[in-house]
Amino acid sequence: MSDLDKQIEQLKRCEPLKESEVKALCLKAMEILVEESNVQRVDAPVTICGDIHGQFYDMKELFKVGGDCPKTNYLFLGDFVDRGFYSVETFLLLLALKVRYPDRITLIRGNHESRQITQVYGFYDECLRKYGSVNVWRYCTDIFDYLSLSALIENKIFSVHGGLSPTISTLDQIRTIDRKQEVPHEGAMCDLLWSDPEDIVDGWGLSPRGAGFLFGGSVVTSFNHTNSIDYICRAHQLVMEGYKWMFNNQIVTVWSAPNYCYRCGNVAAILELDENLTKQFRVFEAAPQDSRGAPAKKPPPDYFL
Amino acid sequence: MEWKSDEKELKAAGAEPLPDGRCGLFIRGWEIESRKRSILTSLQLQQWEEELHTSHLPEMVFGDNSLVLKHVNTGTKIHFNAFDALVGWKHEALPPVEVPAAAKWKFRSKPLQQVVLDYDYTFTTPYSGSETVESNAEFVRGLSNESSSSLQWENCMDKIDLVALASKEPILFYDEIILYEDELADNGISLLTVKVRVMPSGWFLLLRFWLRVDGVLMRLRDTRLHCLFGEHMKSVILRESCWREATFQALSSKGYPSDCAAYSDPSIISERLPIIMQKAQKLSIEIPCKH
Repeated sequence: MSDLDKQIEQLKRCEPLKESEVKALCLKAMEILVEESNVQRVDAPVTICGDIHGQFYDMKELFKVGGDCPKTNYLFLGDFVDRGFYSVETFLLLLALKVRYPDRITLIRGNHESRQITQVYGFYDECLRKYGSVNVWRYCTDIFDYLSLSALIENKIFSVHGGLSPTISTLDQIRTIDRKQEVPHEGAMCDLLWSDPEDIVDGWGLSPRGAGFLFGGSVVTSFNHTNSIDYICRAHQLVMEGYKWMFNNQIVTVWSAPNYCYRCGNVAAILELDENLTKQFRVFEAAPQDSRGAPAKKPPPDYFL
Repeated sequence: MEWKSDEKELKAAGAEPLPDGRCGLFIRGWEIESRKRSILTSLQLQQWEEELHTSHLPEMVFGDNSLVLKHVNTGTKIHFNAFDALVGWKHEALPPVEVPAAAKWKFRSKPLQQVVLDYDYTFTTPYSGSETVESNAEFVRGLSNESSSSLQWENCMDKIDLVALASKEPILFYDEIILYEDELADNGISLLTVKVRVMPSGWFLLLRFWLRVDGVLMRLRDTRLHCLFGEHMKSVILRESCWREATFQALSSKGYPSDCAAYSDPSIISERLPIIMQKAQKLSIEIPCKH
C-alpha cells in the first residue's frame, strides 16, 4: 500500500495527518489544481455534493449513500470547512482523494475556502488546536487559492458554489479570471462564490447588507440560454429538504450537511447524474450519535446568570 | 447529549418530571416545559412569510421550539417562541446595517434593473417573551376573559439577586432552546435563544438576542426572569431587560480588540458593551380568593 493510500485510510478513520504529511500533500495537490480551468470540465456519470462544513461523520454517511470514490465520480461544490468539528480531517480526506484520483473527484471553491472567513468561523482555531501552530492552516488556505471556481458537466450543467454575477454573461468570461488569490470582496470571482438566487427580484437585487448580489429568474434564463446549458447546480444555502429547485427548474440548490451545526434537524442531499444526465436526488440523514467517535457525556449543570 | 435531571433531587424538592416523554417538570404549582424540534420546512417557511407579511425570514427558524412556564392554578402562562419574536422584529423594522464591504460596492458599476432590498436582515427584536392567562384554569373560571388576558407587570427598583443565583443550589431542570438563528450570509451572527434552569427555590431564565455584524456592530438584548417560589403557591417574578450595543469602531478606540473572532461568546464580552436601555418589572402571582 502506498503512503498516500495509507493516509487515505487514516483520514477515513478521522485521524489527522502529521504536519509534514499535510505539507507534502498540499504540494502535490497544487500541481494538479493549477492545471484545472476556472470552468473545469466534468464527465458524466457524476454525483454532485453541496456544503459539508467539517461534518466529517456526516460526509462518511454521504459516501455510504453515494458510493466510495473512485467507484463513484464526485463533484464537491465547496464549503468543506468551518462550523463543524472536523474541518481538518474533512478537507484533507477530500484533498487526498483528489491527489490519488484526480479524474474521479473535482473540488471547487466555496466562500469559506478563504483566509478571512476561516479565521472567524472555526477552521483556523481548529488547526491551531489540533497542531499547536497555524502552519497547517497556511498550507490549506494556500491550496484554497488554486481550487477551481466552477464546473461544467457534459457542457450541459453549470455548477458553482454561490451563483451568477452581473459582470459575467458567458462561460468564457469566467475562464479569463485570475483565480489564484484570496477571495476578493467584490467583482466576478466574489459573486460566483457568494451570490444567491432570489424569488422577489426578477433581474438583479442588492442585499440589504450593501454587498452581495441576488439574482432573479430572468437572469438565470438568459445565462442558461446564452451558454446553452440545461440548468445551474449550486450550493451555499441551507435547505431543510436537502435540495430545492427554483425558477421553473432552471437552478437547483444542493445542500449536503445533514443536521447542520448539529442542531437544525435538516436532511441533506446529493444529486446523482448517470451517463445520460438523468437526475436522481439521494437524500440522507446525519450519522447516528454512537458512530461519531467520542462518547457524549452528561454536561455539568450550567449556572448561567 | 441532553441534560438529565437527578431523580433524588427532584423528589426532595417536591418536583415531578412531565409525563409522556415531555421535557420538563412540575414544581410548586408550575408546569415548566421545553420543546426542541427541527427548523421549519420550506413549506412552513412560506406560510410564516405570508402570515408575517415578509419575504425574508432567518435561515434557521426553530418554529416548533418553545419554552412554556405555566402557573397551573391561575392559568398564568409565560412562554417563548420564534413567531412572536419575529412579529416584534417586523414591528421594530430597524434600517439595514451596511457591512464593511458595502463601501467598496458603492463604486461598482450597477447592473440594469437593480433592486436594493431594505429589510432588517439582522432580525433584531424587542421581544421579551409572550404571556397569556388561560381562562380554563380552576380558579379563574367565571372571570371575564377580556380582563384576564394580560398580566399586570409593575415597574420596580428591585434587582434580581445574582448572588443567590450564583449559589450552587441543585439544578433540577436545565435547557437551552434556540428560537432562530441567521449567519448573515457569513457576515456574523444573529441568534435568539432562551436558557432556563429550575432550582428548589425558584426558576431563572435568560432570553438573549445576540447580534454581531462582523467589523460593524454588536447588539445584545437580554431579558432575565427570576421567579421565587413562595408559600401557598404564591410566586413573585422579577423581569429585567438590559440592552447593550457597541460598534467595532467604538470598541477599538477604547483599546479593545477589533477582530471578530474575539467576540464569539457574548457572555464573556457583554461588559464591554455599553448599556443603552435597562428596566425592571415585577409580577406577583397568587390564587385569588374564592367568592
